[in-house]
Amino acid sequence: MVKNGDPVLRMRAITKRFPGVLANDHIDFELKAGEVHGLLGENGAGKTTLMKILYGHLQPDSGEILIRGEKVEIAGPKEANELGIGMVHQHFMLVQNLTALENVVLGIPLERPPLLDLGPARAKFKQLTKEYELELDPNMPVWQLPVGDQQWLEILKLLFRDANILILDEPTAVLAPQQAEQLFRLIRRFAQEGRSIVFISHKLKEMKAVADRITVLRDGQVIGTVDAADAQPSQLAEMMVGRMVFLERRSRPPRESEQAVLEIKDLNCLNDRGLPALKDLNLTIRAGEIVGVAGVDGNGQRELAECISGLRKPTAGSIRICGQPIQDVVRDTSLLGFVPEDRHRTGLVLGFTVAENMVLKTFADPPFTRRGIIRWDEVHRHASKLMREYDVRAPDPMVLVSSLSGGNQQRVVVARELSGKPSMLVTSQPTRGLDVGSVESVHSVLLRERNRGAGVLFISTELSEVMALSDRIIVMYKGEIMGELEAEGADVNTIGELMLGHREVLESQVGGAQ
Amino acid sequence: MKERTKIILPILGDLVLTGGRPVLAILLALLAGSAIILIYGSDPLQAYAAMLDGAVGNRAALANTGVRTAPLLLGGLAVAFGFKANLLNVGVEGQIYAGGAAAAAVGITPLPVPPWLHLTLAVLAGFLGGAAWGLIPAYLKAYRGVSEIVITLMMNYVGIQFASLLVHDPSPLAKPGAFYPQSPLILPSARLPVLIKGTSLHAGLILGVILAVLIYLLLKYTPFGFRTRMTGQNPEAARFAGVKVRRQIALVMLISAGLGGLAGTGEVLGLKLALYDYFACGLGYDAIAVALMANANPLGVILSALFFGALRAGAGKMQVVAGIETPISQVIQALAILFVIAIGFGESRRLARRLRREEEEEEEVLADGG
Repeated sequence: MVKNGDPVLRMRAITKRFPGVLANDHIDFELKAGEVHGLLGENGAGKTTLMKILYGHLQPDSGEILIRGEKVEIAGPKEANELGIGMVHQHFMLVQNLTALENVVLGIPLERPPLLDLGPARAKFKQLTKEYELELDPNMPVWQLPVGDQQWLEILKLLFRDANILILDEPTAVLAPQQAEQLFRLIRRFAQEGRSIVFISHKLKEMKAVADRITVLRDGQVIGTVDAADAQPSQLAEMMVGRMVFLERRSRPPRESEQAVLEIKDLNCLNDRGLPALKDLNLTIRAGEIVGVAGVDGNGQRELAECISGLRKPTAGSIRICGQPIQDVVRDTSLLGFVPEDRHRTGLVLGFTVAENMVLKTFADPPFTRRGIIRWDEVHRHASKLMREYDVRAPDPMVLVSSLSGGNQQRVVVARELSGKPSMLVTSQPTRGLDVGSVESVHSVLLRERNRGAGVLFISTELSEVMALSDRIIVMYKGEIMGELEAEGADVNTIGELMLGHREVLESQVGGAQ
Repeated sequence: MKERTKIILPILGDLVLTGGRPVLAILLALLAGSAIILIYGSDPLQAYAAMLDGAVGNRAALANTGVRTAPLLLGGLAVAFGFKANLLNVGVEGQIYAGGAAAAAVGITPLPVPPWLHLTLAVLAGFLGGAAWGLIPAYLKAYRGVSEIVITLMMNYVGIQFASLLVHDPSPLAKPGAFYPQSPLILPSARLPVLIKGTSLHAGLILGVILAVLIYLLLKYTPFGFRTRMTGQNPEAARFAGVKVRRQIALVMLISAGLGGLAGTGEVLGLKLALYDYFACGLGYDAIAVALMANANPLGVILSALFFGALRAGAGKMQVVAGIETPISQVIQALAILFVIAIGFGESRRLARRLRREEEEEEEVLADGG
């Protein structure tokens, strides 16, 4: 048997090529028993590709994998499971309509086929949740579980299969700071039990907090492996992007105007399931300020953004942009720009060309449509202009937007939404899934809009960027604004407490709330 | 910067690529058909030669092909147009009866108007009749989220029986004492003009071609078409962009059903010259295959309707010359449809798989932004 410290996994000279991209370029990777090994890198650095190869989702073009000293061929997830490898994907692999328990047993051979006897599984489920202090109801359908619980469920799936090589791909993306702490404790405990954990992230801080060793990837190559204890964040950041990165507070000129561009009064609305999502929400945003919305995903942020853009009907209350009441979807791009959370689902029509996507809201207005006929030459000219202005890299406006990279797709959305110089800009998770470089350019754009005099509502679950970018921060919890802070000098812990609904922290502090 | 580009083919190359699939399906169907002909004890080559002769061999054959093409073209357009909004209108059969009945009702009624107006009114009635048959599916799909496939299919049976009821005495549309249940003859002023003297090729074909071009232009060059395509491709994004998605779905369903009604109108005003019991015999279902084979491209529908029209026209000659009985020629037609669907679906499955894979890889590999 392997003992702690012995290598359980060796990947040697793994190379994987996608059309036009060398995703993994002779990558060597080693994992020891009882080790938490961080895999750090920007989006597109090859982290997920490498782990998908380990999990059998992808086959390497060359290179070999050794598990406990033996060379193995991992043809698929089934083989990976048999080798004790388990993976929690960035996008959960759960069946929404099945219960937590049913999801856990999915894919495990039946004990007495063809009968499905969940009895023993239920007992094991309860024993495991108790042992690891995970509060999960086995009978709850997954769609009713908060995202955090879905994360625990994914991890439980691995424990259930007794995986001893655990791959966690960006596991903290959906967790509140306190939940992330719990996850880190859990990971440490797995390590003590002799399991090995690969922890994928692009967040330096948590990487340092949880990992023993850190391997940094860039452009498909291993830049280096360092001991987490010795590593300096700035050193890691430099390895990651090849230059220094600051997510420090962005400096800005003082706000010039007192004019309110967005006025929300006593806003109430329901979520998709018909439950109250916003409760008597009041918010005013003035010209030339960025109001950041902090909060764990699913606390009414999406509904707030949708109400402002007219996509969701409030059940009570009023919304005005520049004095105009919002009653329907706002197509006037000089009034409102909206960069939605999920660009694939709501921001873009993937089967349309870049040019068509650039006029998604304005195609029926002059100059794009005259006398009922769409003037494609005008549309293409407009698109070419925006592509230059916003640095959208595509051969020409006629290519399908689905053929662009994620960053470029995001730029198409941003270009369209900002092209009318809106008085009010609403952005929901505009940087999700983007690499550091793209994140910075999105931040710069938002700051530029602010300085131009637009009111900006900036929703993000990434606390550090909310703090770096905002003038004011509001924290949302269960559809209410828990508190409002000046971003300058705001305290992370205070915000973290507010994100979990602990309003008391503001009362115990002087000068926290306005 | 890792860029991925898509090669844009010139229109001709695009046609060749999208055309390759139907041509392959046709070849496979003919191959499978020849096996059946062999089993039947005839010579496949001879049989197919006869079929070709029957479809395009002379003026009468060509006219016959045109006659068969017209309803398939209009019906195929109905299905293809629905496709663009991601609606699968399988109710063309019922719409044919509804449209045909409405056109007949106007066509047998003497009106104090010039003949061209009488004809126009009858055609319009046919369109509205079909659209009326689309009202229930349109409402249920757009505002109640019920699958349009189930509803339109069910409406077929109602449509067929409803038309049957109309031509049985007593009914305002029935011709009393007729040998076979039918309406009185369409008045000459409401008949579609014959294109080639001595044949029954009527202007329904022209109507179909004009509408195919118009729908192509509508989809490409009008805000309405833009909204329709947006709704079909990503209703969520369409809603986000301010499109009234429900309304759009309802409108497209109604227009699609109206076009289905025109398929029946052409038959009644141009060919049958009366409303008969069960006159469509499955035309509406063949229209689905026509649209599928054309990949829902309105201009492509012209070609695929022509193919199916020729197949039907040639079947008669094949029967006479090669002794292949009509059921066998229908088997070959059915095979062609099956192969089109099989290849079509296989293709779209592959496409869907590829899109999924690309989306995953894109997150990882191509979210470079840089």
